[in-house]
Amino acid sequence: MEQILATTLRSATPLVLVATAGVFAFRAGIFHLGLEGLMITGAFTTVAVAEATGSVELGILAAIGVCMALSAVYWWVIGPLGANVIIAGLGLTSIGLGGTAFALGAIFDRRGSLFTDVVLPRPVSGITSGPGVIVSEHSILVWITPLIVLAAWVVLRRSRFGLRLAAAGEYPFAARTAGVNPSIMRLQALLIAGALCALGGAELSVGALHNFTENMTNGRGFIAFVAVIFGAWHPIGAAFAGLFFGFADAIGIQSQINITERVPREFVLMIPFVLTIFAVWLGGLWRRRSLEAEAGYAELREPDY
Amino acid sequence: MTGGLQRVASTILLVGVSFLLTALILWGSGYRVGDIFSGVIQGSMTATGAATSSIRWAIPLLLIGMGVVIGFRAGFFNIGGQGQFYVGACCALAVSLRWSDGPAPLVVLCGTLAAVVAGLAWSLLPGYLRVRFGTDEVLTTLMMSFIGALVLQYLTAGPLRNPSGTGQTAASERIPEAFRITDGSGVSATVLLLVGGVAVLVWLLLERTRFGLAMTLVGRNPTMARWQGVDVRRVGLVNFALSGALAGLAGAVELYGPAGRLVTGFSPEVGFTAVVVALVGLLSVGGTVVAAVFFGGLQSAILFLPIVTDLPPPALVLLHGMVAFLVTVKFRAVRLRRAGPASEAPTG
Repeated sequence: MEQILATTLRSATPLVLVATAGVFAFRAGIFHLGLEGLMITGAFTTVAVAEATGSVELGILAAIGVCMALSAVYWWVIGPLGANVIIAGLGLTSIGLGGTAFALGAIFDRRGSLFTDVVLPRPVSGITSGPGVIVSEHSILVWITPLIVLAAWVVLRRSRFGLRLAAAGEYPFAARTAGVNPSIMRLQALLIAGALCALGGAELSVGALHNFTENMTNGRGFIAFVAVIFGAWHPIGAAFAGLFFGFADAIGIQSQINITERVPREFVLMIPFVLTIFAVWLGGLWRRRSLEAEAGYAELREPDY
Repeated sequence: MTGGLQRVASTILLVGVSFLLTALILWGSGYRVGDIFSGVIQGSMTATGAATSSIRWAIPLLLIGMGVVIGFRAGFFNIGGQGQFYVGACCALAVSLRWSDGPAPLVVLCGTLAAVVAGLAWSLLPGYLRVRFGTDEVLTTLMMSFIGALVLQYLTAGPLRNPSGTGQTAASERIPEAFRITDGSGVSATVLLLVGGVAVLVWLLLERTRFGLAMTLVGRNPTMARWQGVDVRRVGLVNFALSGALAGLAGAVELYGPAGRLVTGFSPEVGFTAVVVALVGLLSVGGTVVAAVFFGGLQSAILFLPIVTDLPPPALVLLHGMVAFLVTVKFRAVRLRRAGPASEAPTG
């Protein structure tokens, strides 16, 4: 049981970080399907730079920089250039997945994965029995993540910026009347989201593991997006949804060891997706409009392209 | 139709820009772009069997892409082609393996029907939620796509697994050779006739029937369509059903054609590439045929390229991403914004 909880924390942290990124984007009215691409870019850049410089801090800073730059380009394409948010977002994901796998071959001449000894510090380690196992062997990012979630909540719900962001997402017309430029708000939200995705990717590659592997995010960016919807696009809600999906993942890993005969792992892995369909459906039933940020979403999502 | 010409020109330009950017990245990474270019020409057209291989990869893209065209025409972002393709292939496989001693034409027919129905069902669930409850179809089709991939993984690793398989990835047993409608190349007269016939039917439906017009109307403006007496719900359901059926059919063609068995996570990009194909084809059937052959050629070339240069295959995923990232950019929007007065006050 302790092992499951420890695995839950480890699997949930990247999800929670990226889900928080998704919440920022969602509040601004952006259906951000590029999270997966940003996450894997973050994972790769961290490992690549950390391996080259020997400093994990530099690696993470570089990852944040690259992901924010990509986010800015994404904003430019879907905002001023008027591209379709969903298609461009999926494109961003492919650029991330393809680009990192390509760079792995082109820069490091590797296929598959790249190992590194430069990893994040682990504040508590060496506990092998008892309840202490739950908190042992986690990277520093696991410990910081709750603080990031709290900070996101304060910023989104208790600050001028957050309220303006919500206005820009929910009703861009009113936001404009109040002197807020929705386009700039979207840029800021996307930049924050980019930085958080970089952290999520970094936790995946140098936090929980010692390597970067092609396609290592394996749909986690989409599951994080799902957590945003499931958590009713609230930072705390999304964090708990991420935690729950991390738990499902931990059970899946455990079931592979223990109960494969009874429940195939694939069915456990389906849980987040099935739940999401339910969540989106119920969300649509309870409020007539399934998306709070629908107006901003609609402003970007035009049928005619 | 100057508007139409403008759209064709802007799409060609955007695809060109995407290629240029990707070429720049390759060049910056130290690859000789000239070699790669000549490799692509050889691998997609001039080398032995390259043209056939291009067609082979174009076929699933075309079938799924036409499904995307149908969906997007009516304003439904049905992006779950991948999952519909997978469950279609899975059902065809299950039918063929369970009834492997049956008469070949009958089994293949049943398997194909099963694939079509499976793809249709996989698409109809999000479709029903969309038209009945207004549930966002982008998310639900995407989720169904992931579930479809897991179904394939479960079947190929579990009940339908070939126990004597030695490969790294799990694969199913082979279907009997008699059920195959092509040889390993994936192209035969039967398949070409089938796919061509389907393309003509889809074109007729979209461009020459009242129902096709109703779909386009719903896509342009659902409220207006409703006022003109279009049953928007019925149009929506049929629309999702057709998209899914085409993707399911693509799964059956893949199985009975070039594949012969299913491997976990085969053709992982085809659903997304089909969306790119449909968009590059400007959501028209003719354009989609051209775009499918073009992207099929690229797919064939990337498999050929290791022979001439050491370009990693993920470069193709990068290129697809680039095209998707840029292809929906609207030039008109840029011009309007520049021409208009700067009405939006900057914020603090």
